[in-house]
Amino acid sequence: MSKRLFVTPYRCTDCKNCEVACSFVHTRNPMKPALTRVRAYTLMGEIKSVVLCLQCEDAACQTVCPTGALTRNPDTGAIDRTDACILCKACTMACPFGNIHFDPAYEEIVKCDVCGGDPACAKYCPTRALVWAEEPSPDLDPEEEIEVMPLPWAMTMPAK
Amino acid sequence: MPKDRSEKVRVTIDGRSIDAEKGKSILEVARECGIEIPSLCYHPGLESFGACRLCVVEITKPGWEGWKKLVTSCLYPVEEELIIDTRSEEVRENRSVVLDLLLARVPESDVIRQLAAEYGIHDTSYTKREDADTCIMCTICVRVCDAIGANAIATLSRGPDKYVDVPDKDACIGCLACALSCPTNAIPFEEFVNGKRKIWGREFDLVYDEISHEPIGTPEQIDHFAEKSGLPKEYFLKSDKVRKKETAVTFARVQF
Ligand code: FES
Repeated sequence: MSKRLFVTPYRCTDCKNCEVACSFVHTRNPMKPALTRVRAYTLMGEIKSVVLCLQCEDAACQTVCPTGALTRNPDTGAIDRTDACILCKACTMACPFGNIHFDPAYEEIVKCDVCGGDPACAKYCPTRALVWAEEPSPDLDPEEEIEVMPLPWAMTMPAK
Repeated sequence: MPKDRSEKVRVTIDGRSIDAEKGKSILEVARECGIEIPSLCYHPGLESFGACRLCVVEITKPGWEGWKKLVTSCLYPVEEELIIDTRSEEVRENRSVVLDLLLARVPESDVIRQLAAEYGIHDTSYTKREDADTCIMCTICVRVCDAIGANAIATLSRGPDKYVDVPDKDACIGCLACALSCPTNAIPFEEFVNGKRKIWGREFDLVYDEISHEPIGTPEQIDHFAEKSGLPKEYFLKSDKVRKKETAVTFARVQF
């Protein structure tokens, strides 16, 4: 079975480590957290959750794309934006979950590509609200020690 | 995927032996292997047109007894035993002429000036076009518009007077894809002037998100994409940021 990103909202503390990690991996210098592909939110004062591309089976972005530029990567299971993109932005309008964007600075469409099969957001999530696994992880024992990379490591990751 | 696509042919590019997918062009195969061939009118999402001739390469075959010829690599499909040289003296010379001519056509284009400089051309040896814009007639905009299904942009007139325009202004949906895909930024547009968008001499209204008041697109663009995709129109009426927040709420609710 292949891996996917699992979100467990009640574990999310809206610490934004995932956003920082994502920006480091995906945005060029200077790092731009505003263009992160994963977002953590605190809404209505209490609801916390992270949101990122669901890599839908029957995806609206793929349906609307006129050049077939959004293709399923057989190795990672993610829908990747390829060079065939003509920047019509139909996908950014069609996605019902708001998970595909236009980056005006670099004039390109950006979306989650699960970092090519090793998503940084999950690696740096301190509470395992985001996990990259084959199955959703069972409830966490609060005493259980979680092995997560501390954020300073993210700070030294080479920016692309 | 058509069956012949997965068939392989063996070619040699710049001395490297490569198993290439049959049906692909020389340019595509070269780029997949990290061999860069300059191009202007090629776009991976569109059908190749062979307009600019910048992508010329030299080809030969073992049976050709030393004969060689220059071909446009974005159009020429790979064949068994093909030997391709992307950097020969002839290739460079040919590209230099192409760039020299382009520079005469669009003397003000930074993109072309930079490319020409890479081939040692800093000023054109031909007569410069007067009042020149930066359009190089690559027709990417025409093909982009056709791919979207609006078919609004056309090439008009012939020969050196040929130009691109939108003959029927109503056909344009104001999506800006042509302007954003233009390699030489030759299509001017204006965003958010008095809440409107301007392109190809026409002014478009913008649909704004009801909650965040961010612009989403033109009504024509929304109708067109909704109709073509068969997706519900409500999908197109919210900004990505607002949707993302809604998704967060949904995620959280599903959990509890
Ligand atoms: S890129 Fe091949 S002719 Fe323009």
